[in-house]
Amino acid sequence: MPSAWGLVAGLLTASLLGWAVWRVFGGYPQAKEPSLALTARELAFLVAVADATYPEGGPVPPSGTQAGIPAWADRYVASVPRTVGILMRLLFFLMEHATLFFAAPGRGGRRRFSSLSSEQQGAVLEDWRTSSWFPRRLVFSSLRAILTMGFFSDPVVLRALHLAAKQIESPVVEADLLYPAIGAHRSTIAYGPEDLVAPSGIPLAADAPLHPDHAEPTQ
Amino acid sequence: MSRGVEGEVRVFAEYERDFTEEADVVVVGSGPCGAVVAHELTAKGKRVVLLEEGPPFTPQEFELDGALSMSRTMREAGLRTTRGTIIPTMQAIALGGGSLVNSAICVRPPDFVFEGWEEHCEIEGTRRSDLDPHFDAVEAFLGIAPTPDDVQGQRNLLFRDGCNALGIESEPIARNVRGCRGSGECFTGCRARAKQSMDISYVPAAIKAGARVLTSVQVQEVLTDGRRATGVRGQVVEPFSGRRSHRFRIDAKAVVLAAGCMATPILLQKSGNLANGSGQVGRNLQFHPGLAVLGVFPDEVDPGFGATQGYQSLAFLREGYKLETLWAPAGILAVRFPGFGHDLKKRFAEVPYAANWDAIATCHRSLGTVRPRRGASLDPILTWHFDAEDAQVLGGALYQIARIFFAAGATTILPGVHGVADEMRSLEEADVLRTRRFAPSDFVTASNHAFCTTRMHGDPAKGVVDPLGRAHDMDGLFLVDTGIFPRCTSVNPMFTGMALAHRSAEALADQL
Ligand SMILES: Cc1cc2nc3c(=O)[nH]c(=O)nc-3n(C[C@H](O)[C@H](O)[C@H](O)COP(=O)(O)OP(=O)(O)OC[C@H]3O[C@@H](n4cnc5c(N)ncnc54)[C@H](O)[C@@H]3O)c2cc1C
Ligand code: SF4
Repeated sequence: MPSAWGLVAGLLTASLLGWAVWRVFGGYPQAKEPSLALTARELAFLVAVADATYPEGGPVPPSGTQAGIPAWADRYVASVPRTVGILMRLLFFLMEHATLFFAAPGRGGRRRFSSLSSEQQGAVLEDWRTSSWFPRRLVFSSLRAILTMGFFSDPVVLRALHLAAKQIESPVVEADLLYPAIGAHRSTIAYGPEDLVAPSGIPLAADAPLHPDHAEPTQ
Repeated sequence: MSRGVEGEVRVFAEYERDFTEEADVVVVGSGPCGAVVAHELTAKGKRVVLLEEGPPFTPQEFELDGALSMSRTMREAGLRTTRGTIIPTMQAIALGGGSLVNSAICVRPPDFVFEGWEEHCEIEGTRRSDLDPHFDAVEAFLGIAPTPDDVQGQRNLLFRDGCNALGIESEPIARNVRGCRGSGECFTGCRARAKQSMDISYVPAAIKAGARVLTSVQVQEVLTDGRRATGVRGQVVEPFSGRRSHRFRIDAKAVVLAAGCMATPILLQKSGNLANGSGQVGRNLQFHPGLAVLGVFPDEVDPGFGATQGYQSLAFLREGYKLETLWAPAGILAVRFPGFGHDLKKRFAEVPYAANWDAIATCHRSLGTVRPRRGASLDPILTWHFDAEDAQVLGGALYQIARIFFAAGATTILPGVHGVADEMRSLEEADVLRTRRFAPSDFVTASNHAFCTTRMHGDPAKGVVDPLGRAHDMDGLFLVDTGIFPRCTSVNPMFTGMALAHRSAEALADQL
């Protein structure tokens, strides 16, 4: 027969475990679209942290989610080597749950990051950004680096900052007669010596048309 | 088993079975150093096989998004860092190596750098005057020339103006470029086909002269017979996934390793600790750490236009740093902005009015190592220690950049250093950069210039190769990448690497 203390300890451990499992896995919304690498939980964290880092409005209007940061991060994690991807996902996990140890101010400050109010999320980010402990600053800057690269992948952001790429017709040079597209056979090379053109050297004009990926979509 | 035809390139889709080939020389790595050697030897009538793990990129495959581009063109998706003091460092995996993604900056180090090399590593015949004929040959081949004003753009010209106002010598950067359009996209690949990266310059010329260039092949071992290197073996790898398939072996009279200063020591270590009687393989890793400062001007700078890096000052080389202008994909540069939320967005709104200038510091005291991982991976384990005295030099360099910014008319600078204000609005405020005692961890530096991991030394007990790149401990083995530098070049390293490689190729051709 277990003692009363044993029973209490057992119950406590079980509820702690239950709470921990819920904290990590429970209550997240279903993902709206199929993802390439990230889980619905990771995407929910990214939605929260993207908008805390880049709230809507101001001189560069899109919010983090409007700029497509979560979807971009999904694509990015899918594109990096597996071990690097695992590290990135650990980073998301760490920031989502670090409030357990570095609580946000106010009521319920130990809830996971994505469940905090936006004021609390801001306070958590500021705490990591200005920490006197270098590893915490590094975690913050690594996370923010991913979010920032995602923010700047949005053509709306790039156009707002006059940084959208211009259209450039690549001249055919000798190398283009040698290399096919990656994965293709050389027999697919469409150019011949008659197509060779010297690079123009003409400076790009400020009003030159934009690269199709960065241009405003036409109706 | 198949036999190759002379003078051709082979790509991933074309490997159907295991193969063995023969050559006079097999060159591993098609970066600036390997490409020069392959071309020079082929031009001298040698049968050369050039092996490259990465694929050739066509302009249609350049990805404009900086991070996604990095995950295609760089090893470990461009996120490689050291242990110890953390410093990010990028190495390319592509035909052309680092030249595909670099800013094409070509600088000849001044005399005092080579004098320091000779003294530090007890070598002779490696003064600037010894290397000038080789610099000249590479310069002529690649059309290296100062960046013309019409493609400089404001963010480069303002640097010139600031330097002029202070009487600091500066100059347009000489680059291996023909017909630049000022797109500022060198990092993600030159869509204008102006940058003379190795894949469109030396490599096609080598093929024309008869070299066989095999891409998407990973060399895993240097083969030996007693003291002599006899060839290499490895496997075909799929672009991007790195999945390994068919095996190959190349038998050759001489083996040239130009896999870069991180991969060459790994290959030697994984081949049974070759050429390492000195114990120096994988040691002495040096970086050339860089830090960027952003300056905001009252008028629009339009930083999206202009040569990626168009202006520089060599005035402070003896003090231990070089100053230059800098551009990269906006998302990567923006990573350095401080803060988050609406404050950060306000700062982003200043980007059209901003320029980035950087300092790179010669850090002789800060050393590291390159060691192999267990198992089949050829990715290195890197360690590095940022010495406190070296870090201090960067503080002084940032102060000089601040001076130049304010002299050029900037209203605000963002130094991007921990422990001082995020923004400074006057030179008085920036004075703290000069006076403060910084800790290495106050700086988040990065370095894509890396060297010395298989250093040359006059004494075989203290170095891996002689000044011509010949391994002290082996016959028929040459190392020619930036790993053989005795010390940091104090300037951007590619041109020096190519000049040394050009000299090594002459020596090797004479020997065969
Ligand atoms: C973003 C960036 C910007 C830079 N800007 C400049 C600049 O403007 N000016 C300058 O002077 N320097 C610059 N550098 C540094 C410069 O590019 C390098 O110093 C230079 O490329 C080194 O040349 P390398 O031939 O020694 O090695 P790499 O260029 O690294 O070439 C080594 C090649 O070997 C291949 N390889 C490696 N292992 C194997 C293997 N096992 N089997 C087959 N192939 C293998 C690699 O894929 C690679 O293509 C820059 C670097 C980067 C990353
Ligand atoms: S600045 Fe643009 S056009 Fe000029 S070399 Fe670099 S990528 Fe090419």
